[in-house]
Amino acid sequence: MQTSAAPVLQLTDIEKIYQTKTIETVALHRINLTIGRGEFVSIMGPSGCGKSTLLSLMGLLDEPTHGTVAVDGRPVQSYSDKELAGLRNLKIGFVFQSYHLINDLAVLDNVELPLLYRPGLSGKDRRQRALAALDKVGLSARTNHFPSQLSGGQRQRVAIARALAGAPEIILADEPTGNLDSVMGEEIMDLLLGLNREHGTTIVMVTHDEQQALKTQRLIRLFDGSQVG
Amino acid sequence: MLKHLFTLIWNRKRANALLIVEIFLAFVVLFVVGSLLVYRWQNYRAPLGFAYEQVWVVDLDPGMQPKAERYATQQQVIQRIKSLPGVRAVTRTSSNTPFSNSHNSSDINRPGEHIRRPASNVYDLDDAAGDVLSIPVEEGRWFDRRDDGALVAVISHDMKELLFPNETALGKLVEANGNRRIVGVTAPYRADGDFADPKQAIFLRNGLQDTTFDHLQTLLLRVQPGAGGALEKQISADIRAIGAGWSSNITPLSEAREKQMKTVLTPLVALVITCVFLIVNVALGLFGVLWQTINQRRSEIGLRRAIGASAGGISGQILGEILVVATFGLALGLLAAAQFPLLGVLGVRVGVYLTAMALAAGLVYLLTVVCALYPSRLAAGIQPAVALREE
Repeated sequence: MQTSAAPVLQLTDIEKIYQTKTIETVALHRINLTIGRGEFVSIMGPSGCGKSTLLSLMGLLDEPTHGTVAVDGRPVQSYSDKELAGLRNLKIGFVFQSYHLINDLAVLDNVELPLLYRPGLSGKDRRQRALAALDKVGLSARTNHFPSQLSGGQRQRVAIARALAGAPEIILADEPTGNLDSVMGEEIMDLLLGLNREHGTTIVMVTHDEQQALKTQRLIRLFDGSQVG
Repeated sequence: MLKHLFTLIWNRKRANALLIVEIFLAFVVLFVVGSLLVYRWQNYRAPLGFAYEQVWVVDLDPGMQPKAERYATQQQVIQRIKSLPGVRAVTRTSSNTPFSNSHNSSDINRPGEHIRRPASNVYDLDDAAGDVLSIPVEEGRWFDRRDDGALVAVISHDMKELLFPNETALGKLVEANGNRRIVGVTAPYRADGDFADPKQAIFLRNGLQDTTFDHLQTLLLRVQPGAGGALEKQISADIRAIGAGWSSNITPLSEAREKQMKTVLTPLVALVITCVFLIVNVALGLFGVLWQTINQRRSEIGLRRAIGASAGGISGQILGEILVVATFGLALGLLAAAQFPLLGVLGVRVGVYLTAMALAAGLVYLLTVVCALYPSRLAAGIQPAVALREE
């Protein structure tokens, strides 16, 4: 799959400052970043350097203190909460280090979750898409299991299937292998690489693992909230 | 989304069990108290079957006067009272006057029938009673001089329905101190007051031959509008003047009604206050549990926001979840409530139970929504970026 030069995500002069009554913490300082369609980008840096904050801004989960975030060339700061939610649902899939699966829902119901917030999809359509996503991650045989009945690697596969179910253009992965041993970590990494290569999914991944970061097309390094490489 | 909510609540049924039990109990309490209130309210709204305004009850006490003289003295008293300008009509009656809580019950049947029926209220009255109490007659007429020398009765609508359900009662006989011919059917009559059900009643005419005093020592007077203390004093004085040693107790029916209403309302109000106290406790419990649940589910809420739920959607989901929990509790409650009409537990009409079920269900839904409003707003305000980092 070819990587297109058209930016799918563009961050311009981003600053994020957390302010309490007594302390002002600069989490991100003057970040300028463009993610092209079909790119696989990794973000590295020490703990507390602003990686997850950057990912939250890319995922439209938070607003920058200064600067603009644009999706498909359109700045989103004027979007309402409902419009942002719709955009997240259509365009973005999330994968987290701690999976964030709902333990009281079966695997299939967990994977269907993003589709519940997409109007116009019938129950049958949702089920078919969820089954297809589970098939992609090799978990078709575990649809009725609950997360507590799965291994860490399987849970992360479910989380990836959930991100895939809505066919998003972008997957934002926050240390997706952080809780897994090296073998399972490799499996998940291969899965993400496959998605990028075969389906052209744009992936931005935060990681502490240099080896995994080197497998991606571009590596962005952060230090104390600033981009250093 | 609704299926998703049911799946979620069903899968969390153990965690939600206490909430479901709490809602079930709240529903049962509201249903029982609601049944009693609806029953009383429906009765209160129905006509009494007589008019109590400007009607006075005069209880006569003949003191030590020999029994043989009492009837004659009573007739003098009646003539004197009738002559007073503030009095429009007088009737002689037994002591079971409206709102008196005094009853004279008997099994009334058609002649030759030996069917066990609910006991009926028997009222001994004379020709003027229809005017004094303004009793509406649905069919036929009230007693009058045409009935001299005959044994006649007027029955209430409910007695007609009991004894003559699919036929006219006029001209038929009933067995009540002899066979009496029915000359009239009144509207439902509720001498037991505003909150009581109508009960089948039979009105027996005091004929000219009824010269006894003892069971007819009460008078009912219809007085002119505005008649008050002066007339009351005048009547008392006249009674004392006519009958040596006689005394009387005069009570307007409106006063007797108020007194009886207080008797019925006092325990009801106490019950309602207790019910409100219980419901407030249930509401506080629900509110607390929901608040705690929201705090425990921050990461789930963060996730839902990340994958496409708006703040309003989260708020709606929390409300939807508690409504689903309430529906589980109500389903159990309705099963329990359905036993009440089947077993006749409270002895009220089936319609009362159904109305109370609908009201109690509506109140439970309202209560759960009110309790969930603030926690749902809290949930909607959770910042997804923060919540997702917490776990």
